[in-house]
Amino acid sequence: MLVWFLPVFLVLLLIGLPVFFALLFAPGALLWLNGQERDLALLYRNVYNGMDSFPLMAIPFFMLAGELMNRGGITMRLVSFSQALMGHLRGGLAHVNVLSSMLFAGLSGSAVADTSALGSMLIPAMEKNGYSRRFAAAITAASSVIGPIIPPSGIMIIYAYVMGESVAALFLAGIVPGIMVGIGLMLVTAWMAGRQDFPPATEKATWGETGQATLKAFFPLMTPVIILGGILGGAFTPTEASAVAAAYALMVSLFILKSMTLRDLPGVLTRAAMTSAVVLLLVGSAMAFKTVVSLSHAPEALAAFILTLSENPLILLFLINILLFIVGMFLDAGPAIIILGPILAPIFVGLDIHPVHFAIIMSVNLTVGLATPPMGLVLFVASAVSGEKVETIARAILPFLAVEIAVIFLITFVPEVSLTVPRLFGFIQ
Amino acid sequence: MGLLATSRAALAAVLDPILALGRLVAWISIGLMTIIILVQVVFRYLLGNALPWPDEAARFLMLWMTALIAPSAYRQGGFVSIDLVSSMLPRRIGGALALILLLLALIVLLTGVSLGLKHVNSGWLFASSTLRVPMDLIGMKAFKIKLAWMYLSLLVGIILLAAVNLELILKAVTRLIEPDALPEDKEIPGTK
Repeated sequence: MLVWFLPVFLVLLLIGLPVFFALLFAPGALLWLNGQERDLALLYRNVYNGMDSFPLMAIPFFMLAGELMNRGGITMRLVSFSQALMGHLRGGLAHVNVLSSMLFAGLSGSAVADTSALGSMLIPAMEKNGYSRRFAAAITAASSVIGPIIPPSGIMIIYAYVMGESVAALFLAGIVPGIMVGIGLMLVTAWMAGRQDFPPATEKATWGETGQATLKAFFPLMTPVIILGGILGGAFTPTEASAVAAAYALMVSLFILKSMTLRDLPGVLTRAAMTSAVVLLLVGSAMAFKTVVSLSHAPEALAAFILTLSENPLILLFLINILLFIVGMFLDAGPAIIILGPILAPIFVGLDIHPVHFAIIMSVNLTVGLATPPMGLVLFVASAVSGEKVETIARAILPFLAVEIAVIFLITFVPEVSLTVPRLFGFIQ
Repeated sequence: MGLLATSRAALAAVLDPILALGRLVAWISIGLMTIIILVQVVFRYLLGNALPWPDEAARFLMLWMTALIAPSAYRQGGFVSIDLVSSMLPRRIGGALALILLLLALIVLLTGVSLGLKHVNSGWLFASSTLRVPMDLIGMKAFKIKLAWMYLSLLVGIILLAAVNLELILKAVTRLIEPDALPEDKEIPGTK
């Protein structure tokens, strides 16, 4: 009986009930129909307990750090740094776009933030340089999915918290896949540049110019070093590291780059608080949802069903790739992880897939879904930033998507891609 | 029709200042949280003395931050949802669906209020382990903060969400009856 909350939940979600309410309504209604009114109080308590968490506090701090860096003109410095390194290649600005996304990924963890911050700067610049607007928008959208894969990453913090994994292990596991997506996109760009006669962006930067740009980007680029170094070295918990990163970003913007004043601060803090609040409520409701998931034995029922499809983990992983990809087209990666993690992860961990490996499969799959037509969220942001139609961007993004899908398969079927780095650092067995 | 418009205006007049206050408290809270965690780090490394209270104090602020600003987010459509279906439906049917969804949300919120009241009441039985009001500094007896003060955050948040939800319902009804009556929603300046 209780197992019916899953289909009810899906229907509510599809007809447009906000995820937060759907996560509570479906299990609540089924508990009530089942005569388990007393368990409703459990549901409520779990929303509260789910939010009342020190590790979860990394979310608001990372949001804050991201907001500060956007406001503080740090994005611009990353772009000039990338420009100095790669601007002289044929298709230079397209490479600059990808590299900036990879660097930006080390600062923020959000594909949407990446698209809007880098897109508003790079799309007009690329157009002025002779690229078509749809190509510029497409490469911006395609490269922004690197944001949540390369650490630090908001969705990995959420995954780690909801599923009880180590944040450090997930962060480390994302490094190689993120870089692979970046390199893959650059290879496509290079191939297209040769065939479509892209303009070279600039003269090769002199050593002096490169040095200048490096110097200006130095302080922002130290952020991921502080975060990862602090966590891996055991100096900080992820929460402390994220608070330090936020304070560091504030100091850099206020005193070193002088790109922000104290007057901007309330607006920045309000935006960070607002986006975090929505995520925190979602995580709380997901923790409540998760208890009902286990009460209902839904994972066992689903696992039994899935095993009738095939017993070969490789085929099942392939099916999961497709499922996650589709979900990613409709739902932002964070909420999707919150909903699907508790249901899917136990099944695959039971099939001897390493939990960290599965976390990376889910994260990468869902974020690439963000850039996938027709519904990908990032496409809409890219469209808003560039003024190009979503359909046009959707066509232009296809070659990049092909590479990203290839990387997804590589990640899925070669666990070492994700697991080697965390293993080297001793975070997983 | 007049009644709908009046009640909408009355509700907005109550909600506007409360939510503005909520946003103020929320941004101050996230700022304080950052400072508290930095203090914790500084004390542990530079002064070699791990403080007991920052963990709980920061969580206290985070809970209240969430409760007080989430209603503003909900009001401007910031709650994640899949709006594919309603965007494909004809306007009237889409409007009716929106109303039904809001009523479902209201059920969740009202159930939440009744459960929340019990939860907060249970919180008077337990005191915080590390947070206390240092009344001894002014010659009175220091006392520990009851957990109910933390529990209260979620209840307050849900009550505010319910109020916002009511406003959204009034708007949805207006849209159904008189599709062109409502101006576009205003955004809160500086939050998008």
